[in-house]
Amino acid sequence: MRSLANLLKGTGIGIGFSVVVLAQAVDPKDLLNPPPDSWLTYHGDYSGRRHASLTEITPENVGQLKQVWRFQTGRNPSIKATPILANGILYVTTPDNLWAIDARTAKELWHYEHPKNDAFHIGHRGAAVYKDTVYLTTPDCHLIALNAKDGTVKWNIVIADSSKGYWSSNAPLIVGNHVLVGISGDFDNLPGQLKSIDADTGKTQWIFYTTPPPGGTEPESGGATGGQMWMTGTYDPLLNLVYVGSGNPTPVLNGKVRPGDNPWTCSIVALNPDTGKLVWGFQVSPHDTHDWDASEVPVLVDADFNGEPRKLLMQASRNGYFFVLDRTNGKNLLTAPFATVNWAKGIDKTGRPIPDPAKEPAKDGVLIAPNESGATNYRSPSFDPKTGLLIVSVQDGYGIYFFKPEHGAYGWAGADYGVAGKAFLRAIDYKTGKVVWNHPIGDGAGAAGVLTTETGLTFSGDVPSNVIAFRTSDGTTLWHEPIGKVGNGPITYELDGKQYLVVGGGSSLYAFALP
Amino acid sequence: MPAAQAPVPGKSPASLPPPQTVTPQTYPIEQIQSGEGRFTSQCGFCHGRDAAGGETGPDLTRSALVAQDTRGDKIGPLLRTGRPERGMPSFELTEADLGALVAFIHAQKTKFETLGGGRRAVDASDLATGKADAGRRYFNRKGGCSGCHSPTGDLAGIAARYQGLQLLQRMLYPSGQPAPAPPKVSFTLPEGRTVIAPLAGQDEFTITVLDPTGARQTYARSAVKFKIDDPMSAHFDQLGKYTDKDMHDVFAYLDTLK
Repeated sequence: MRSLANLLKGTGIGIGFSVVVLAQAVDPKDLLNPPPDSWLTYHGDYSGRRHASLTEITPENVGQLKQVWRFQTGRNPSIKATPILANGILYVTTPDNLWAIDARTAKELWHYEHPKNDAFHIGHRGAAVYKDTVYLTTPDCHLIALNAKDGTVKWNIVIADSSKGYWSSNAPLIVGNHVLVGISGDFDNLPGQLKSIDADTGKTQWIFYTTPPPGGTEPESGGATGGQMWMTGTYDPLLNLVYVGSGNPTPVLNGKVRPGDNPWTCSIVALNPDTGKLVWGFQVSPHDTHDWDASEVPVLVDADFNGEPRKLLMQASRNGYFFVLDRTNGKNLLTAPFATVNWAKGIDKTGRPIPDPAKEPAKDGVLIAPNESGATNYRSPSFDPKTGLLIVSVQDGYGIYFFKPEHGAYGWAGADYGVAGKAFLRAIDYKTGKVVWNHPIGDGAGAAGVLTTETGLTFSGDVPSNVIAFRTSDGTTLWHEPIGKVGNGPITYELDGKQYLVVGGGSSLYAFALP
Repeated sequence: MPAAQAPVPGKSPASLPPPQTVTPQTYPIEQIQSGEGRFTSQCGFCHGRDAAGGETGPDLTRSALVAQDTRGDKIGPLLRTGRPERGMPSFELTEADLGALVAFIHAQKTKFETLGGGRRAVDASDLATGKADAGRRYFNRKGGCSGCHSPTGDLAGIAARYQGLQLLQRMLYPSGQPAPAPPKVSFTLPEGRTVIAPLAGQDEFTITVLDPTGARQTYARSAVKFKIDDPMSAHFDQLGKYTDKDMHDVFAYLDTLK
């Protein structure tokens, strides 16, 4: 199995061209091949695998991990962001806030706070770095470029009109000089969009719409709006394709007024980052009526499939199905449920689940699995190349869904209620879709992302309050520490020759290392 | 526990308007407007920008707690503790922010009371599609509900206590107020004696129970011998067995137990 980094070595792209840069600057080329003393992008690298090659912490010694420092934001909101580490500085966010912290001491270097605003403050996924700039999206849909050195504002632009119902929690994806930012907004009938902003100037380079923009005439969406692209995508530099998942159509629960499949909502789309043009799309939930965004991470893996080396893309989707695609063309290789599901009649010949009309929201209520928060969600999975396992934070749950014509055709347009759910960390064999192990982590749904490392360790959090290390091959618990609810993806890096684990618990960030 | 609304003959209780505010109260327009902003940013995602229900949270304009609240005396404590078991976080708020939120919630409640009907609401009449006879048969046989429940015992008068959506939710997976009895933990002590205590919380590593004084006692799971009897697990398993028809039939049956 060859990693993206190895592939790049083979082509000579991304290595050997490092130039001396300012102390607080990030060489954009490093994003292609991140050094071990960094975590330069939301997913750590472009592949979305969240798999680290560091080997100091092992299944044998992980039990000795000790807290090295704790950084308290001193604010209410919990940390849901994956921190960025560049040049020994950690950048971590909550809505409207970005802190730059010395990664060695946890000392605050600077703090940027965006003015109070009334957009949704439900969480924030993280910052992005490029050269000597740190980028922050805000709930009221600003994209702010900050000096990495001192947090002063270089420029501040509006990426969407929050008064119309848009908000942003997005960790931007930097590709070349493109800052790719996504926006949320499914309480209103608004088109989903991904914007490419010039990293240096803040000028808009292109906008990709998942559903027709206002005044658009394209009929394909069947009258649907929505398809918000609120999660951070992945990137294959050799194919020069960006992969992003899109959200649910609007009106959300009323599917009657938007007949057909409603592309490109609930889809994985492959875009050319230089033009924003769609190269291919694959819809994981045609005609969704349950709020099941397909925003989950499209994980890029180069590996054998049915005996042939393939460029794969895999997604464990909110609708409860696991998909493996050929990422060169979007053709489906495997579709299999990984959680409790009862809403599809089968799989069509292109690999898409066929929605059961009897499971559309109804006046007297329909019992649906998964529930609205989904079989999984924003919490990032991790792929371990040695075992071929995608480790996913899963919920097996049920909800009741209602729609009657009186609910109308705007925004939610219906009502749904979660009934009950149980949370698991679940390992899926990418070749078969079969669940290899299943580790209960509490009632309801977890909030933590997943990290795997080369030594066969998996780090994540349970529902109540623990960060936990598991053995990747079988899910056995090896270490834990109660730090408050883990709401983000743990990261790891090497600094001064030592491997650190950094993870958010409640509104604090914790670093652990071996003694 | 508030007194339930008395059933009206020939009319389903839950088709009545939302619970009426017990203590009418008014707020300055500036405070309501300030509360609207705070509400949208902190509460709107779950409860809807208009407080009438959002992505995961209930419609507050139909909330019994809001109906009984006077100037934040019920809402305030709830906001400060949250309902972590139901996904509701706690909030640390200044008095001014709390007052503004309370003002906005009450203003919305008043607005929705006068609108009537309530959009995105589920009326009891919407749910009345099942057959009580078939529901009774399912209850006694296939569903196995009668193994734990009885229409003349714990469920006597259930439809007078809960109506409409609330009854359906309680039937599928009991939660909310009053909270269902917690699972019972039976500890086997070293000398062989058994001690039973209500479960207050657990994770993979610890188990927390309430002692006879009501205090929380936490033990490492590895240090004690115990068994948890959780009657709710049968409700969870049942969710995977109901057809939608079964669900509506059992609901119709329970709705006869007034």
